[in-house]
Amino acid sequence: MRYGTGPEVLREVTCTLKPGSFHFLTGRSGAGKSSLLKLMYLAHRPSRGLVTLFDEDIATLPRQRLPFLRRRVGVVFQEFRLLNHLSAFDNVALPLRVAGVKEGTIRKHVDELLAWTGLGDHTEARPPTLSGGQQQRVAIARALISRPDLLLADEPTGNVDDALGVRLLYLFEELNRMGTTVVIATHSESLVSRFKKPILHLEDGVLIHHDRVEAKDGTADPRDPRKQFGRGTKQ
Amino acid sequence: MIRSGRTDLPLSRDPSVRLVPWIIGLMTYLACLMLAGSLLLSEMLGQWTNGLSGTVTVQVLPQEQEAPELLNERVEKLVRILERTDGIDEVRAIPLEEIAALLEPWVGGTASLDALPLPRLIDMRLNVAAPPPMGELKTMLSNADPGALLDDHGIWQDQLADLVIALELVAGFIVLLVGLATIGIVIFATRSGMAAHQDVIEVLHLIGAEDGYVARQFQNLALTQGLRGGIIGIAMGAATIWGLGYAADHIDSSILPQVKLLAWHWVVLASLPAVTALIARSTARRTVVRSLTRMV
Repeated sequence: MRYGTGPEVLREVTCTLKPGSFHFLTGRSGAGKSSLLKLMYLAHRPSRGLVTLFDEDIATLPRQRLPFLRRRVGVVFQEFRLLNHLSAFDNVALPLRVAGVKEGTIRKHVDELLAWTGLGDHTEARPPTLSGGQQQRVAIARALISRPDLLLADEPTGNVDDALGVRLLYLFEELNRMGTTVVIATHSESLVSRFKKPILHLEDGVLIHHDRVEAKDGTADPRDPRKQFGRGTKQ
Repeated sequence: MIRSGRTDLPLSRDPSVRLVPWIIGLMTYLACLMLAGSLLLSEMLGQWTNGLSGTVTVQVLPQEQEAPELLNERVEKLVRILERTDGIDEVRAIPLEEIAALLEPWVGGTASLDALPLPRLIDMRLNVAAPPPMGELKTMLSNADPGALLDDHGIWQDQLADLVIALELVAGFIVLLVGLATIGIVIFATRSGMAAHQDVIEVLHLIGAEDGYVARQFQNLALTQGLRGGIIGIAMGAATIWGLGYAADHIDSSILPQVKLLAWHWVVLASLPAVTALIARSTARRTVVRSLTRMV
């Protein structure tokens, strides 16, 4: 993968993620973690190679079908990317609204999720009036509201203290147990060693090692193709 | 779907939102005046054509030092001949007072007309279904009176029609330019809005918004702005037309034709805000969708 006509930022990346798996994505700054996540949440297409998501080749998938795939991916951005002019409620409701869900259903689900994340008393608060930790929980709630098959988080513990970081990881682990495939990009070695999950490690755009989980025939687990991320080569 | 009144993009807070309706209003105002002018010209031409086609005029030129009584006799003779001619429904010798009134704007009061050797006029209304051949009518008149000249207004009508058509084309061209300028303004405002809210658009895009979802937010705003601008423009246009009409009513002149906008003309003009709003909406949508296709 490359940005425009610049140098390749990802190459020799070959991995398959099993549906329902949990991976840490590690590497130094500039190693390509965010770029790999961008491929996964369809902000970019690969300049060469093969990337499949939910059994679709994202390099050749018609552009008008990409939004439907994106709705199956929840993303917690590094800088949260909340919409400051909208309330916490409207931020969390956004993925449902773009998917055309009815307002009554949205109200019920968003209120439930905000209460679950401890933000029940801040539903009408604008993000700038919330603390960093609260903003992060809004961002996580927005990523989870549509019950994604794949959850991606870019440095989700980067802006919170260690205790909250650990609690967040337990939350992601819980989601993973419920069947969501999780990939978390992080610098934090303490979190990685504490949670003992498979690691995708990038160095200078190259995937150095990963824990490959495959079905017996060597392909990715075909049991639930809806929850399948990645099968093939990213270069 | 976007609920009515709720938008994900804070477009209504942009400075351009306050300015755009006024610019669209100005454009609509110009379009309204051009359109009204064009409709008035069409109406005027129609009235002239309906009034003149089917009518011909005979000029009876006075001979040197001819007594008015003799001239009257020549006119009466010609009227009798014409009344017997097939294809002519009505013949009327125009009284000298009417001729004097027609000339008054150019030569002043009737007192000074006595000294002028004025030609006498005979108006004829032809049977439009079976008019007499003009050539034969001319020959018949010149045989009856060598000083009688037939004017079928053909040249006058043709020149008038050419002038009106040229003016209508100019008006149409100006309306087209105004329309293009409006489209340009909406494109500029939409692109500015997209640039100002690129981060929000990106988030919407990444959480699965289709192009139409993002476009709807811009097109709804453009529709409102177009409608507001259109109403401003048509209100100013109506006031101007009313003012001009009022002024024209108070000019005592027989030169100016008495033409007014008809009810259906006002309906056409009243549709301008809706047309402007739809053009703005469609332009905004196309602009957004075209820009978004550059994103993955």
